[in-house]
Amino acid sequence: MMTSAIQTLSLSRSFGRTVALDHVSLQVPEGAIYALVSANGAGKTTLIKVLMNIFHPSHGTALVLGIDSRKVVGKAFNRIGYVSENQQMPDWMTVGDMLAYYRNFYPEWDRALEQELVRQFDLPLNRKLRHLSRGVRMKAAFASSLAYRPSLIVLDEPFSGLDPLVRDELIEGLIERAPETTIFLSSHDLAEIESFSSHVGFLEQGHLLFSEELTRLTGRFRDITVTLLGPSSLPTSPPPAWLQVEAADAVIRFVHSDFNGAATPAELAAFFPSAHDISADAMSLRSIFLSIAKSGRIRDSSSSHLLSNAKGPKA
Amino acid sequence: MKQILAIFTKDARRFWPEILVSLALLGALVTVYPSQWRVTHDPPVRAFGRFLGSDSPLGFLAGCLIVLVPISWWILVARVIHGERLVGDTQFWLTRPYEWPKFLAAKLLVLAVFLYAPFFAAQSVLLGEAGFHPFSYLPGLFYNLLLVTGVLVLPLVAFSTVTTGFGRMTLVLLGVILFIAGMALLNSVLPSGTNGSVPGPFGDYLALLILALGCGAVVVVQFAMRIVGLSWLILLAVASILSAIVFIDPDQALMDRIYRSQRLDSQSPVPVSFEASTSRHSTTNRTKDKGELEIAVPVLASGVADGHAAVPVAFKASLEAAGGLRWESLWQVVYNERYFPGISDSTMSFRIRQAVYDRFKSKAVTLHLTFAVDEVKLVATRSMPLSTSEFFVSGFGVCTPQSPWFKRAPEITGITCRSAMRQPQLTYVTVNWTDADCSVADSEKVLGSAWAGSLETDPAEFGITSVWETPLSLSNNWGTYHEGETPYLRHICPGSPVTFSTYDRVERTQVELTIQNFRLPDLAIGDVFLLQMK
Repeated sequence: MMTSAIQTLSLSRSFGRTVALDHVSLQVPEGAIYALVSANGAGKTTLIKVLMNIFHPSHGTALVLGIDSRKVVGKAFNRIGYVSENQQMPDWMTVGDMLAYYRNFYPEWDRALEQELVRQFDLPLNRKLRHLSRGVRMKAAFASSLAYRPSLIVLDEPFSGLDPLVRDELIEGLIERAPETTIFLSSHDLAEIESFSSHVGFLEQGHLLFSEELTRLTGRFRDITVTLLGPSSLPTSPPPAWLQVEAADAVIRFVHSDFNGAATPAELAAFFPSAHDISADAMSLRSIFLSIAKSGRIRDSSSSHLLSNAKGPKA
Repeated sequence: MKQILAIFTKDARRFWPEILVSLALLGALVTVYPSQWRVTHDPPVRAFGRFLGSDSPLGFLAGCLIVLVPISWWILVARVIHGERLVGDTQFWLTRPYEWPKFLAAKLLVLAVFLYAPFFAAQSVLLGEAGFHPFSYLPGLFYNLLLVTGVLVLPLVAFSTVTTGFGRMTLVLLGVILFIAGMALLNSVLPSGTNGSVPGPFGDYLALLILALGCGAVVVVQFAMRIVGLSWLILLAVASILSAIVFIDPDQALMDRIYRSQRLDSQSPVPVSFEASTSRHSTTNRTKDKGELEIAVPVLASGVADGHAAVPVAFKASLEAAGGLRWESLWQVVYNERYFPGISDSTMSFRIRQAVYDRFKSKAVTLHLTFAVDEVKLVATRSMPLSTSEFFVSGFGVCTPQSPWFKRAPEITGITCRSAMRQPQLTYVTVNWTDADCSVADSEKVLGSAWAGSLETDPAEFGITSVWETPLSLSNNWGTYHEGETPYLRHICPGSPVTFSTYDRVERTQVELTIQNFRLPDLAIGDVFLLQMK
C-alpha cells in the first residue's frame, strides 16, 4: 500500500481576518515529485511553512513523514531538507563553514555526497555566503539540504529569479536524488516543473482546486476546436467541464477539463451534429494553468466542477 | 553535546568583537577600580576628580566602567540570542534539527564562558585587590551571580527572545525605562499613606522571584515553542505584578508577623515614653502628596540594657476619639534612628489624610504608637590607633583615612572603609576629633561617631563590583566657630584611638506607646500663611 510523505486534512491557516489556506486536503505519495502551483500570494508558502511547523495550522491537520506538523521539531528535521527563496542564511559564514557547521547536526551526513555536491554545483568553499550571487547561494542551500540524504525535500520557489543555467543545474541535482526521496516544491514557473514533476496541485486563493498525477492531468485537459458548416453561436448551456468557450464565425473553441479519449469524441459529435471537424489537442501545463486561472475569474460554475474533479494522486 | 558545542563555537567565532569589548571593559574595571582606593594627596589631580564628580579622575573612570560593563553585557546577550533569533519565519535554523534544550544550553554556555566566568574572576580579583581573600567569600560571590542573573541577565535574555534585533530591543528597553520612570512618578504623586517602603525582605524577594520566574518562563516558551504573543503576555503580567508590589508593599502586611508583640511577662528592651516637655512640640506639616499631612511626634527612648542598642525600623500610629471614631496608619519607615542605653530623643512622623486630620482635629484623642524594633547586641569591639595608611578591621573591612582635596598638606578629616560583597555588619564607630595641631599634647578632644552597615544577613548585595565603599559619616566633624569666622573641618590625629563596635540582631519585637488626651497639632504656620495668601 502506498504511503504518503505529506498528508493534509482540511488544513486552514488564517492571519487575522485573512484566510491564507482554506480547508486544503492533499496527499503526496512517497517518491513523488510534487509541484504545487499557483499565482503569487495564493498560499503556497503558507502551506509549506505549516508543513515545516514554522506556522501552526488554524484548523485541520498536516502529517509530514507521518508526524503531526506541530511536532516537526528537532530530530524530525534530520529527514527533511528545506530550501526557500526567502530563507535567510548564515551570511557571515563561508560555504565551507556552513557545511561544516551543519555536519554537526545530522547523523546521516554523507561527506562523500557533500564533496560531490560541492563539485557538481561548483561551490566556492572559502567565500562568505553574503558575497555570493543569488544563484550560488541557492546552490549552497541545496547542497546543505541534500548532503544528509533527507527522505523529504521541501522547496519553496527554489528556482525563482535564477538564470536558466543555474536552474538546470539545480533540477539536475534534484532529479539525481529523486529515486531515494520525496520532493515537494512550490512554483509559479510551469514550464520548468512540467519537465520533471510527477504530481501537481493547483492552489488558488487558499483553495486547492486539484491535486493529481501530472500525466492524468494533462490527459484530461484538451484544447477542443469545433468547425461547423455555418456560422456558429455559443452553446446556451455548455457542460461545466468546458472552460473558456468562445465562438468565432464557424469555429467554437473551448478547453475540455474532463476529456476521455474513448467517450468524449462521440459526446462532442452528438453535441455538435452539424460539425464539419472536431479536433482535440493536448495542452501544456502552462496552457492548462492559464485556462484554469482565467476561468477562475468566472468561477461560479467551473470551480465546483474542477473541485469535483480533484482526485487524489496515484503513483 | 556535539550540537551544543557546535552552536557555542559558532557563536564564539561570530561574536568575538562583542566578547572582546565586554572582556576589555571588565579588565579595565578590575584595573581602574582599585586605584581609587590608593588616592594620592595631589590637590590638582583630586580637584580635577572633584570636577568630574568623583574623588579622583580614576574614580570617575571607574564609575563610567561600572555603567559600561552592563551595557556591554546587554549588547553581548542581545547579539548572541539574536544570532538565531526566535521571532520571525525565515531564519535559517528553523528547519534544521536544533533541539531546543541543547540550543538553549549552547546559548547559556556562551554566557557562562564569556560573561559569568570573567565576571566571577573579576569579582575575585577585586576582592583580592581590596585585601579580602576570595575563597572566604564564595557564597557571596555565587549569591551575587544569582542576583545579577535575576536582575540583569535573565531580563536581557528574555527581551532578546521576543525581539527581532538589537534596534527593536533598544526600543523595548527604552519603553521599560519609561514605564519604570512613570511608575516611580505615579508612586510619588499618589497619596501612599506612608513615607517609604518598610524594610522587610519579603517584597524584594517576591519581586526578584517574580522577575526571574517570569523572564525564565519567557525564555523557555520562546526556545521551546516560539509563541511570541504568549511571551509578551507573560512579560506584561510580570510588569503588572511588579507595579502592584511597588504600590501595595507586601511587607506592610507582614510586619506584624516579622515583629512580634512582646509577651506581657517579658521586659521591653526599649521602653519608650512621650516627651511632655514644652521645648519640643508635635507639629503638622504638609507633604508634597496632595491631601496628605505629616504629623511629627517627639518621643524619648530609654531602658536599653548595657551592651545593647535598639534600632526602630518602622512604626504605626492609631487615633481613637470619643464616639468610636478610630483611624490607623500604615507602617511608617523610621530612618537612621538608634537608641543606646540612657535616654535618647527622636521624632516619629506619620502621614494622615487631610480629611481624617480634619475629623480628629478638634477632639482629644488617644494616640497609640506601635514601634517595630530590632534589638541588637554588642558582639565585638575593636579599638586601634589610627593609621596614616589603610588598616584592616576584623569583621568590618579595610579602612582608609581621608583628607580633603583642597588641603595642601594631608590631614585626616574622615575615614572611608570598604567591605566585601556587601555593606558590613551594623557597627558603631567612634573617633576623637581635635581642633589643635597633632603635635600639641593633651589637646581637647571631641567625640565623633557614626553608624555604618546594616543588619541584613544575605551573603551579598547586588553589585557589578564585589567591594562596597562605606564612607563613615562621623558626627561633630565641623569645628565650632563664631560669626564672621570661616567654618573649618576638625581632624583626627594619627595614633588616636578608633573604635569599631559591631552589633548583631537579637530579636525583632514590637514596642507600644499610648498617649492619652493627645491633640493633633495645628498645621504649620508657614503653610497656613501661604493658604491665607491664596
